[in-house]
Amino acid sequence: MNALIVTAVLGVMMMFSSIVLKRNSAIRMLAIVGLLFTFIANVLDSSGVHFFSINIKGMMHFDQFAYFFISISIFCTFIFFLLSAKEMERIGVNYSEYFALIFFILCGIILVASFTSLLILFLGIEIISIPLYILTGSDKKNLKSNEASLKYFLLGAFSTGIMLMGIALFYGSTGSFSVENSVVIAATTSPMLLIGILLLLFSMSFKVSAAPFHFWAPDVYDGAPTVFTSFMATIVKAAAFIAFIRLFSLAFTPLQDRWQLIVAVIIALTLFVGNITAVFQQSVKRMLAYSSIAQSGFMLMALLAFNTFSVEGILLYIVAYSISTMGIFSVLVKMKDSSLEEFNGFAKHQPVLAVALTVFLLSLAGIPLTAGFLSKFYMLKAVMHSGNFLWLIIFAVLMAAVSVYYYFRIIQVMFFKESDSNTIIVSTSFKWLLSALAIIIIVLGVYPQLLLQFLV
Amino acid sequence: MIHLLQIDISKAVNEVENAGSYLPIAIQLLLVVGLIGLMLLASHKLGPKRNTSDKLEGFACGIESHGDARKPMAIKYFLVAVLFVLFDVEVIFFYPYALSFKQLGWDGFWAVMMFVGFFLCGFIYIIKKGALQWED
Repeated sequence: MNALIVTAVLGVMMMFSSIVLKRNSAIRMLAIVGLLFTFIANVLDSSGVHFFSINIKGMMHFDQFAYFFISISIFCTFIFFLLSAKEMERIGVNYSEYFALIFFILCGIILVASFTSLLILFLGIEIISIPLYILTGSDKKNLKSNEASLKYFLLGAFSTGIMLMGIALFYGSTGSFSVENSVVIAATTSPMLLIGILLLLFSMSFKVSAAPFHFWAPDVYDGAPTVFTSFMATIVKAAAFIAFIRLFSLAFTPLQDRWQLIVAVIIALTLFVGNITAVFQQSVKRMLAYSSIAQSGFMLMALLAFNTFSVEGILLYIVAYSISTMGIFSVLVKMKDSSLEEFNGFAKHQPVLAVALTVFLLSLAGIPLTAGFLSKFYMLKAVMHSGNFLWLIIFAVLMAAVSVYYYFRIIQVMFFKESDSNTIIVSTSFKWLLSALAIIIIVLGVYPQLLLQFLV
Repeated sequence: MIHLLQIDISKAVNEVENAGSYLPIAIQLLLVVGLIGLMLLASHKLGPKRNTSDKLEGFACGIESHGDARKPMAIKYFLVAVLFVLFDVEVIFFYPYALSFKQLGWDGFWAVMMFVGFFLCGFIYIIKKGALQWED
């Protein structure tokens, strides 16, 4: 509850900071300090120090998992600010508003991480989505950005409509908005409930860009300003996953045998479409968009099996995937355009960055000794333990092998091609930060308990 | 006994999950679509067509229309419209509060004050950002 109110107030404060503060660096400092304060508030909250006592009437429940996930997303946003907050200046004049919108998104993330009522889920998803529509279109002069924003808005609104219909059918058959097993068990025979669950499944698949509901993702990720792409492909997506898993693990487990096969098919399709299409991309930004679709296939496996492996796996996956993707994007932002040729001979000019990027790409591909490998391993192990979908595991491993091709293409271009263009200029602190992130990826890949020990 | 357009209520309540109980609605839908289609088709086929230039012109209250409909318009009007919707929504929330004013007591009062406070923040923000300065 602490973090929720702090982020909401900080969002309003950031809005007004453009009037009070004149310098962009001051606004940036305020945002970073505010985020640190939010992090501390959330950690205090999880250890029993509550700033506010509000009767939420059982519509939200903060368990240790929720607190931990909120901490992770605040931490990832902090890294995002450190890496790319300066780049936001180039997008437009409304510098402080971008921070305000990001704080509001965090507010929504906290809601979807802790809901126990479908109303709060809906509210959270909307609070996340609406600022994202604005951020996607924030590059007002750019036609592609406008197009992406409009597409995202129309499709997003449509899928939210489907979700509302699902919630309505759920309410109609159970007479309650609360996300509990007991509510569902009482109405298991109702076909209306099944349709409601299916509609919720489809709309949530849309939000996490799982195939065949992924068509918006490449265009939106490609059209949005690269800084915001890196935010919405990582932290926001992770939050959508947590909402998805929370909804289905809390409420719909009694009907598991009805929807599990559909989820398995969605996962297989997502892995297939994401990986195969990513192979053919010439633009790195678009390739990363498809790779994020492919990665969400793996993350969705947590939905097939609810056990300790999947809980630990999804958190590790979120951290590994978010840090790696944000790292790659933060370098991509500094490039002239996002074509693959820009990376030609990158290792000669920026050896430190090239090595860090290599670690990130290896992690995304799932090569051992990186966090990406262990998280994929945890997910597969979780599905293995549930004991049903051996074909899916084999298929997923095959698709992971395909993904190696397009991740390694960047590494190959960086190290073995001659450069023809001038290179990017980066500060020393940026290099240090990126190296630190690469080290985090490797350390988590060797010793994941460092992260997972907090999940008691 | 045949129920065509009315449901046997006692039966429907028992079999609410049964798709058959929705049959009257399906028949109704078919009738609606069929009737409208028939009417449109009939007027299209049977009606006489005598087109004159006056008839084909866009009708605007009897006033002679001139110029293009897609004229550039100041975006400020749009902004005012958006702001109007915003504050209209605020007022809409007051109606149910006015009805339950006494029952909600002080807790309700503070909740509404908070709501208004957030709105006020937005309003101050809009003014400070210069959204209402028309001449620039």
